[in-house]
Amino acid sequence: MQKNPYLPLPVKLVKNFTETEDKLIHTFTFQYLSQEDEKSFPYMPGQFAELCVFGKGEAPFGIASSPTEPGFLKFSVAKVGVVSTALHLMEEGTICGVRGPLGNYYPVDQLKGKNVVIIGGGFAFTTLRSLITYMLEPKHRGDFGKITCIYGARNPGLLLYKEELDDWDKRDDINLVCTIDRPVDGWNKRVGFVPAVTKEVAPSSENSVAIICGPPVMIKFTMPELEALGFRPEQIIMSLENRMKCGIGMCGRCNVGNKYVCKDGPVFTKAELNLLPNEY
Amino acid sequence: MIIAKNELPGLLDKLAAEYELFAPVKEGNYALFKQIKSGAEACFEYLNSKVPPKGVLFPQSEKLFSYQTTGEGTKMEEHIDSRKKLVFGIRPCDAKSLVLLDNVFNNDKYTDPYYMTRRENTLLVGMGCNDPASTCFCTSVGSGPFDSAGLDLLLTDTGDAYLVEAISEKGKALAAQMGLKAAAEDQKAAAAKAQEAARVNCRVNVEGLKARLDANFYDAIWERFHEKCLGCAACTYSCPTCHCFDIVDEAVDCDGCRVRNWDSCMFPLFTLHGSGHNPRTSGKERMRQRVMHKFKYFVDNFSAMACVGCGRCIKNCPVNLDIREIIADIQGEGRSDK
Amino acid sequence: MLRMQIATAIQEAARKLLAEKKVDLVLGFAKGSLPLRSTPFFARTPEDAGKLTWDYSCENNLANYLRKREGKVAVVAKGCDVRAIVALAHENQINRENLYIIGVPCAGMVDRVKVDQAVEGKDILEVEDKGDTLVIKGKGFAKEVKLDDLCHDTCKTCRYGNPVVYDLLVGEPVPAKSEDNFDDVAAFEALSPADRRAALAAEFSKCIRCYACRNACPMCYCSECFVDCSAPVWINKAPDVDDNIMFQAVRVFHSAGRCADCGACDRACPMGINLRGMTRKMVKEVKELFGYEAGASTEEKPALAVFKADDPQPFLVKE
Repeated sequence: MQKNPYLPLPVKLVKNFTETEDKLIHTFTFQYLSQEDEKSFPYMPGQFAELCVFGKGEAPFGIASSPTEPGFLKFSVAKVGVVSTALHLMEEGTICGVRGPLGNYYPVDQLKGKNVVIIGGGFAFTTLRSLITYMLEPKHRGDFGKITCIYGARNPGLLLYKEELDDWDKRDDINLVCTIDRPVDGWNKRVGFVPAVTKEVAPSSENSVAIICGPPVMIKFTMPELEALGFRPEQIIMSLENRMKCGIGMCGRCNVGNKYVCKDGPVFTKAELNLLPNEY
Repeated sequence: MIIAKNELPGLLDKLAAEYELFAPVKEGNYALFKQIKSGAEACFEYLNSKVPPKGVLFPQSEKLFSYQTTGEGTKMEEHIDSRKKLVFGIRPCDAKSLVLLDNVFNNDKYTDPYYMTRRENTLLVGMGCNDPASTCFCTSVGSGPFDSAGLDLLLTDTGDAYLVEAISEKGKALAAQMGLKAAAEDQKAAAAKAQEAARVNCRVNVEGLKARLDANFYDAIWERFHEKCLGCAACTYSCPTCHCFDIVDEAVDCDGCRVRNWDSCMFPLFTLHGSGHNPRTSGKERMRQRVMHKFKYFVDNFSAMACVGCGRCIKNCPVNLDIREIIADIQGEGRSDK
Repeated sequence: MLRMQIATAIQEAARKLLAEKKVDLVLGFAKGSLPLRSTPFFARTPEDAGKLTWDYSCENNLANYLRKREGKVAVVAKGCDVRAIVALAHENQINRENLYIIGVPCAGMVDRVKVDQAVEGKDILEVEDKGDTLVIKGKGFAKEVKLDDLCHDTCKTCRYGNPVVYDLLVGEPVPAKSEDNFDDVAAFEALSPADRRAALAAEFSKCIRCYACRNACPMCYCSECFVDCSAPVWINKAPDVDDNIMFQAVRVFHSAGRCADCGACDRACPMGINLRGMTRKMVKEVKELFGYEAGASTEEKPALAVFKADDPQPFLVKE
């Protein structure tokens, strides 16, 4: 029998970083306890893990780090409940656990030779950071065509990964378009909701794939813009969220129709989602 | 092979010495599968147990592992139960339910070591149903009063004895180990007669049900079904094929254990996101999920309905919400007795 | 009035209310899918009204479906159900103006546990109603039992068989009974604490934490029940006997002074646990301390929602 899928791998918290100005989102960097441990956790952008706080419980979070960044795992966590609150208060050096990697991943093999349009909103940018970092890695960059990234947040303080965003802004192998909802002093970049900005940037749908990750309202209004640009359902990829527990398709909680978001997702194409009931 | 009824308690005593033996035990007005130490505790005058014996393989609450965290790391201890068990007197519907649950706990990507270890170490001795209850509809959903799916041995009550048929290799070995005598011709005839006479009178028409469920997710028909439902877990906790669970930690500081408990899709909090969003906000969505899961999604994934027709949900529901009526309504057959 | 006549009168009343659009919904009972069962029924058209029924199996407390309902609703309510309605109206969960109460005086409903006992758990196929007795039939048996002997213990101790408030009364009032002396609680009270704990443990070892009791109770409507609270975790979710007792005890305390003594919790329990053992004790405590019974009066405010200078406070006074 394979290893027990309920047992977490111990990891050490090395950084508890307040990611957003409102302090509601922290980014946690975990170090593996041994090389062997790291080898036992081979992951790809788009996957998630059940992050375990011993004594409090487990919760699922998208992996924000990329496998091209060896030695550590990064997660960004909003403070909403027991586990996330315990994480926010956690001292660096504490031992936690990770269970995974779980779920499927962004189909990077199918993205090869294509232009990639990445659209993210607010807090949902975590696994997109993993994907972009992976694609920009020198040994991978040549596999992909143009990379466009539209990332919107309510205000500048709520944008995640500001250091990475600065880096990407300066690069010429990725077209980064950051936007905020309303004008704010000191922000001299774009202003506007993600759907409107998508329309303005108008990425071509020719030989392109769009990957969209964000709150339901953003997706609801951005989807028509993508469709208007000619993106077909097979060309649109989404990462779903749902309440998850076991992460391995057994506890019955996270299904959308006959698919489990944890095991058969969380990455789905719009075409696949169109076959499932709208219950997510 | 044959077991005379007066020999059974002695036989069970011997089995109890070697296995963790589970058999139906009278509990007030109903029967429950409990672990017995002597054959005298078992009572086979019963239609079926109040709650199914799936708890032997998948307990309502179980420790997955315990842990102790120090500065250096964490010590974890798995609690996998590999003790030999035997469930004596399980009805064919409940045995079939375990075959269905095998699909869940051993899916295309992962294996649950807790359920599967118990499953591999548990023998199932089935008791066929000479007199199925009026709420049983096993024959409508792919089972039957003498269905052998999942069983190692199948017993048929002939009046003063039980005819024993070996179904699996493990069953053959068990029968040999028990030293069972061969059955006489008249005993075999009596058993055949009993099997022939067993009638499941309740029929539920499920032909074309999945096709209707493929198409009616957004239909108004779902507005009505849930109205009287209390949203409790009486049906789900009585159901032999239900498998939903929650995982929590029970600990004092960093010493404790991770525990798995049954959960129910009928509870509002079941699908509540941390953000506050709930894809199933009302009883309507939850009732639809229950019916869809049992009669469509499970069929999509495993080509079988997640229902064995045991009728427990019908009998245990505090408001007499009846799955047979819901199915009949979906099939457009209305409710004939109303 | 015979049961059939009451059923007909309910159908008539409902038909009229719906046809004249005085209400959008009549909440009552329809024939169940099993012998000796009725089931809550939501009648929305005059045709639906024809399905309403009434007999000794109408055990559910329909007030449970009335909280925060929109539109005008009529409900078929027994004496205990009306007490719950009154209690809920005091808590602003029901708008009395939008509710039309079809009150039915009730001498008692059948206890399904007693029925099972009478036939030793056998499969019941048919029930013949002979007025004062029922003939319960199954394969190879036909047992005649007095309806009185099948009456639920809650109904036996009930003093509010006649609805205290109603818009239409269907059926003859039931005779008044002598004052409730809580004899049924005496046996439990006579036990020592250790014996009480043992008695409770025996009952609650059967609990599967399905929460049918909580969900059947008209007074249990917290948007987050304490058992679901994750910060802090008051009791664990697993069916541990001590936690099971704690769950029920806290539920009973939360219902103190609000419990209409309708027995819906007891009847809903699939495992046949004696829940009224606890609820009746609480009802007695409240009666003795405050002279109050929930839902008995539309005027009197709930005892535990009001402070009077002469409220009994034995725990504050050092004897």
